Amino acid sequence: MNFWFSVFRQTGRNLRQTWTTQFMTCLTVSLSVLIFSFFYLIYLNMLNAGDKVSDDLRLVVYLEEEPGPEMQEQLRLKITQFDQVQEIKFISKAEAYSRFAKELGDNRDVLTDMPTDFLPASIEVTPLRSLRSLSQIKLFSEYLATLPGSQKVQYGQKWVERFYYFTQLLSIVVLLSGFLLILTATFMVASTIRLTIFARQEELELLKLVGATNNYIRTPFLLEGILLGLMGSLLGLASLYTLFQWILRHFSGAGFLDLFTFTFFPPEIICTIVILSIILCTAGSYTSMQKFLRI
Amino acid sequence: MTETTTSSRTAMIEVIKVSKSYPPNVTALADISVSIASGEVFFLIGRSGAGKTTLLKLLSNMDKPSTGLIEVAGMNIHQVTGNKLAKLRQKVGMAYQDFRLLTERTVAENIAISMEVSYKKPQIIRSRVRSLLAQLQLEDKHDILTGDLSRGEQQRVALARAVANSPTLILVDEPTGNLDATSTAQVMELLVRCSNSGATIVIATHDETLYRHSTHRVMRLHNGKLASLTRGNEI
Repeated sequence: MNFWFSVFRQTGRNLRQTWTTQFMTCLTVSLSVLIFSFFYLIYLNMLNAGDKVSDDLRLVVYLEEEPGPEMQEQLRLKITQFDQVQEIKFISKAEAYSRFAKELGDNRDVLTDMPTDFLPASIEVTPLRSLRSLSQIKLFSEYLATLPGSQKVQYGQKWVERFYYFTQLLSIVVLLSGFLLILTATFMVASTIRLTIFARQEELELLKLVGATNNYIRTPFLLEGILLGLMGSLLGLASLYTLFQWILRHFSGAGFLDLFTFTFFPPEIICTIVILSIILCTAGSYTSMQKFLRI
Repeated sequence: MTETTTSSRTAMIEVIKVSKSYPPNVTALADISVSIASGEVFFLIGRSGAGKTTLLKLLSNMDKPSTGLIEVAGMNIHQVTGNKLAKLRQKVGMAYQDFRLLTERTVAENIAISMEVSYKKPQIIRSRVRSLLAQLQLEDKHDILTGDLSRGEQQRVALARAVANSPTLILVDEPTGNLDATSTAQVMELLVRCSNSGATIVIATHDETLYRHSTHRVMRLHNGKLASLTRGNEI
């Protein structure tokens, strides 16, 4: 019988003897992983959605008068003085009209009695991806409002701001739930291992007296920590995946969710969460062992 | 005091001027010196509180002497640590007065524990457990929890665990205290068998019948001091 066989047998025996405590700890760890990964998943999807939204982000500068070619060149120069942009597009009154008519589709009849120049000319500015944080966009829009002939600048301010604050809030929730995960994983596992050590004090003392090495006594507790981390995180992630599938099945097609493509964690993030959880639980187990295992 | 020396065999245990005191000023052992040869059967006798169990605890490294030196197989056992100490303990089997059995484990599991720590193969462990249980007439108790056994049965299981790993040194504290004559004979038979296969055996006992007519050396302790060291048949 080699070392690892003995250690695995010992671990199995420990788990059988204290399975209720171990099970409760496993559930607590999985719940913490579930809470953390739930918010993290929303956060990641929101960031993806934010990326998509910012792909379509354009600042529209409505002008008092339609600029001639010279004016257009001057405006282009002024805009690029602030920063480089991805694209500057001048929309004439006629073009604005035809776009609007196209958007109206079958309802374009409503435009029959309207003049074709009733919509203002505008400049559509697509900023570079590097210039897409909320504060930079705000500054840029304020600058564009100072352009000669500028009437109004629009970029869906309210929506962008709300989205920005929502992702900010989510990042705080993710941090908090991450903190909760650290606390529960380390402290719960530490206290479970401590209870196991106390419950088996007599046996551990005997093992020592019959010649068990420190590693023979300690390794099963470390394995318990690793197992709790592994099982807890897998259970948590499996629950989240089930919840994710349920949400997709029941809410796909509904307005808001249809705007974004929701995706589950990629394998590398799943592995990171599992490894992190294992590390935290093993650390909890190790702390208890160092404190309470007198060998 | 009658002095009896060890034979020409090499010493398994050397106890040199060993004293053990507990606070505030209780002297459990005072200035004990003795040499026990390899393969010898050695008896420790004396009234309760004479220091027999204390000496066994020092020999098994469960406690440290206040002064003096104890060597087992040429090693100062109180300076050995870590894996070396574990290896040494695997070669020392001890049957405790209070048995130290795991009462929520079966008889077989309790006996197997001393072999598991030295990574013996499962089939060897199973066969050794069955053989020991047969020798001690406990075959039918194989899967019984030790907590459900009588004191006499528990005592025999504790002894079986002490000898299971074929140790070179067996320390036994009151091995027959709860046993009838038949069980006592079985226990002694088992210990003699171990001795015949080369193990050194130290037995602390009140039971005169164990040593009275033997040629084994008997050390009498009185109030922690060596009162006499003589052959059993010379007492």
